[in-house]
Parts: sequence; C-alpha cells; structure tokens
Amino acid sequence: MKKSVVLFGNLSFLGIGDVMQLLGANASTGVLRVISRYAPEPAFIYFVKGNPVNAVNGPQQGLDALYTLFGWQEGEYEFLLEEVKAERVIRKSRMGIILEGLKMVDDGQIEVFGPSDTITRQVSSMYSSELGVDIPILKGPMLDYTYVVDEEDFFDGEIIVEEGKHGNWIWVILEGIVEINKDTKQGRVPILRVTDGSFIGSLASFLMQGNIRTASAVAVGNVQLGVLDSQRLAQEYAKLTPGFRLFLSSLNNRLRQASEAATDLFAKADKTENELKGKQTLIAQGEKYDKLLKIIEGEAVLVRPTDKGKIILARLGKEDFIGTLPFLEMGHEPGNASIVVSKNFQTEPIDVDRLQDEHDQLSTTLKNIIDNVAGSISNTSLVACNYKQKRG
Amino acid sequence: MAIFNLKKREIECKVVFYGPGRGGKTTNLEYIFKSFKKQVAGEMVSINTEGDRTLFFDFLPMGLGKIRGCDVRVQLYTVPGQVKYSSTRKLVLRGVDGIIFVADSLEVRREKNMLSLKDLQSNLKEYGKSIFKLPLVLQYNKRDLADQGIPIMTTEQMAKDLNRQLKVPAFPASAVKGEGVGVTLKECVKLTLKKLQKEFQWAK
Repeated sequence: MKKSVVLFGNLSFLGIGDVMQLLGANASTGVLRVISRYAPEPAFIYFVKGNPVNAVNGPQQGLDALYTLFGWQEGEYEFLLEEVKAERVIRKSRMGIILEGLKMVDDGQIEVFGPSDTITRQVSSMYSSELGVDIPILKGPMLDYTYVVDEEDFFDGEIIVEEGKHGNWIWVILEGIVEINKDTKQGRVPILRVTDGSFIGSLASFLMQGNIRTASAVAVGNVQLGVLDSQRLAQEYAKLTPGFRLFLSSLNNRLRQASEAATDLFAKADKTENELKGKQTLIAQGEKYDKLLKIIEGEAVLVRPTDKGKIILARLGKEDFIGTLPFLEMGHEPGNASIVVSKNFQTEPIDVDRLQDEHDQLSTTLKNIIDNVAGSISNTSLVACNYKQKRG
Repeated sequence: MAIFNLKKREIECKVVFYGPGRGGKTTNLEYIFKSFKKQVAGEMVSINTEGDRTLFFDFLPMGLGKIRGCDVRVQLYTVPGQVKYSSTRKLVLRGVDGIIFVADSLEVRREKNMLSLKDLQSNLKEYGKSIFKLPLVLQYNKRDLADQGIPIMTTEQMAKDLNRQLKVPAFPASAVKGEGVGVTLKECVKLTLKKLQKEFQWAK
C-alpha cells in the first residue's frame, strides 16, 4: 500500500493528547509526523492499532521523546497510513501517557514552546538594573544548529558589538546573557537583555541600509555565541519578494524606534505632548482590528499609556506597515498600543495572506530571527514604559 | 460529546469525578475498580499529581441497556484539584458527558466544597457547557467519620449549601467502606445514558 496522508491538522486546535485519543479510538496504524517552527526537526510517533509503540524527537527516542511533544503547543501534524516497522519500545497505556504527559507540562517538567501571545512568555526572567528599572531577559526560539558555522567565547564585560562601529555579523547565543545598551550623555543605558537562542545583530545586515551598529552588546558573565552562516542567510534574503523585504525593513525600523524611545525616556526627553497635537487616533488600543496597511503618505505614531502619562513607542512613516500581524506578536497595536496619525495620512492595504505564506516558507533560522526581532520590539517597548514610570 | 465508534459499534462517553482535594474522588474510583472488576476494561491509569492522584479507567456498564444497538463504554476520570493542572483538566473536562461531584462531609471543608462547585461551573462554562444541563450527581462522602466523633455536616445542610439550585440526585456515602459508591455511579451513568439516548433520538 502506498503511503498516504489521511489526517492533517494544527496542534493549537487539537493537541497531541487529543490526536492520540482520536487515533486510539480508530485503532489506526501508521506514523504521525509533527512539525513546529520552534523545533529544528520534525518529530515522529509510531502507532500500531491505535497505541504508540515508539517516538523520535531529535536525539530522544521512545517514551521520553513522546513526552516532550506535549510541550509543542503550536505546530502541525499529519498522519500517514502505513505499515510500522519501528520496534515496540513504549509499553505504557495510551491514556497513561496522555495524562502523564499533560501532568508533566503542568508541573513544568516539559519545556513548553508555542505562540508568544504574551510578552512575558518569551521572557525567561527579569533583571533589575542599577537604576531600579526592570529589564526583561529575552529568550530565543529553538535554534537550528546547521546554520551555526563557528563558535566564539566572550568573557564577562567584554564588548561583542559596539554602537556606531561597522559590522554585519549575526550571532546566536548558545549560552549566557548579553546586555544590549545604547550610549547617552548620561552613560550607557540598558535597553534589553537577551539569552539562549536570541540573536545579536540585526536584520539591517541584509537590508543594505549600511551596516552601522545601532546599539552595543556586552557579555554579562561568560557567553558562548554561535556565528551564523551569513552567506546562506543573505542568499535566502535575496530570494524574498520586494513586499516581504519592505516588511522586514519596517520591522527593523520599529525595533530601532523602540530602542530610541527607551533611551529618550531614560534621558527624560519626552516630547509626547507636542507630537500628538493635531493628530487623530486611527487604531485605539484594545480595539478589534484585523487589517494590515502600508503607509503611503503622512506619519503615524505608536502610543501607549502609562501611569505617568502617554508615551510614544515609535514614529512610523512612508512604507512602514501598521495594523495586525497574525503570525507575529510585537506587543504593539492593536492590543498593546494605539496608532495616532497625521492629517495627510494615507495607506494602502497589504495582502496579509501572501505575507504569511512567504513567512511560513522561510527557513527556521530566518523565522527565528524575525520572531526574535518581534520579541525584542515588545520587550524594549516594555523597558521604555518602565523608564517612564521610574523617571517621570 | 460522546464518541460514536463505528468500527467497534460502541459509544464512548465520559464521566468525571469532581470535587475538593482529599474529598475522596480517588477512593471512589479505586473502590469501583476493585469491586466491579468484571465491568472494568483494561488497567487503571494512575498519575501522581500534587495533592491528589489522577485516575482513569474504562468502565462497561451492564444491565443499563444499549443505545441504538451499540455497546456503551464509560471512561471514568478524576480531575486533579490543583489550579496548575490546567492541561489535564482541559483534556478531562473537554467533552464530558456526566459528572459526579464528591463533596466532603467534614465541617471544616464546608467552604472548600462550595468553592469547588463554583470552580466546576466556571470550568464547564469555558467548554460551553452549563452545570444545570449536564447530568450531575452529588455525593456526600465521609459519612463514616461521625462514628469517630469527628464533626460532620448533616446531609440537609450540605443539600442546602450545594444542591439548592441544582436539585440533582444526591447520595450519602463512605467511599473507604464502599458504601454509596455504586449507587452514585449507577445513577450518574443512568442519567448520562438517558441524555445520550435523547440526543441520538433527535439525530434519527
């Protein structure tokens, strides 16, 4: 019998436990293949007459591998009807596995990765800076080691990247914590801390917007970094459509803006009041909004209220996008910020489905970088708010 | 939402034991597993969750008839009480067909009972179910503790606390002694099957 996919679905809708029950009730024999953008490789579960007999997830096998899959809360699966030759190594009952797996998830014994629908989900912990301001420590997604061409070690306090210098390397943190900071007249201001799986260096490296570093990166404790295969990434970037490149460029702009907002608020250089004059609200924070637009004329500012008044998180202009990105969470509009626009503001719609299709087809590493940029945007904006709260 | 398994000509439904921690849910299920051996299919799954164990096994009700010519298989579950076990709770409560609420007769647990029932209501609501429409049976467990001079509530008081609005069947029980366990289960399975029968009738 030829192999055939007989069932296909999404983990966020029907999780591993539910799928196992379904296959169990049907006494199905075959292979369940599971993929997630957070995992470098697909995982497999082998079923004979509805019972799992073996599983593989990366280096793990058997029951251990199967349990790890309960932590996959986002991803897709397909069930292939075929003869299973895998050795029977799992003998535990189906329901036993399901209940144990879910319990391990709830007990925190299994690493959970999935949609970063909240800002805190991506943050491993908070670091309280000398100024008494909380700086999130951003964790990256699971990394694809095939993109790492070399490893480098940095010692505590060593500068990895210096603001204002040229360079376009991109690193991924294999182990350790790195502080991202910016220079101000009042000294270095931390704007974010990043740890395992996060990237250092920005999308600007591909964007041909010059390769001047916009922030410094300093090792906090000893750090091991992986050097990414920039040639491979650049090749992939070159194949992207102009529309997608524009989107990346705008995403990168947001991150730069958010970092500047944090430094401005640290320096108490808040010009919010003046800037909002004569502008009107296009998207109110918390409003249900599902469009994605490209600015063709005028300007938009991203505003978030704090206890000490409104602050501007970013200033966007021609060719920037605004609205809802269904596949990426930046912690901005519409859920966590408002968009206020100038009188001459004009936009055109962006085809979200096409953008998402292109995003879904990217390599895991490029997707991870984009995801990490979005996480940095959301967390840097949080730091900006913290500076405002603390320093008025 | 019972599952109609056409291959096996079997209807699979789900009955969940709910209630405050240490109220006797697992004792109920263990007693059923031991005493109704013939009606139990397969092994008992036992997961060590904090505070309480989570149990599961398949139960084949006998003498309660078939639904449209199909055999009935009842999955019996307990729900872990701790808030943090939300994934387990979600799996157990999703598609639940009937509920046995095991209340603790101990006077000191009075508030815990009420909170747990409230919690059940809001959990069910999350899955689009109403506590008033789902087959539900109450059990006032640990009646035997009165013999040891431990203060327990009267069944009248418990009915007032828990069953005033629900008006569902309620049974006194002593799960450690096995008293009242069978009758509670039987009543809940009966109600559940009745409800399913009615639903399948509509689908005719």
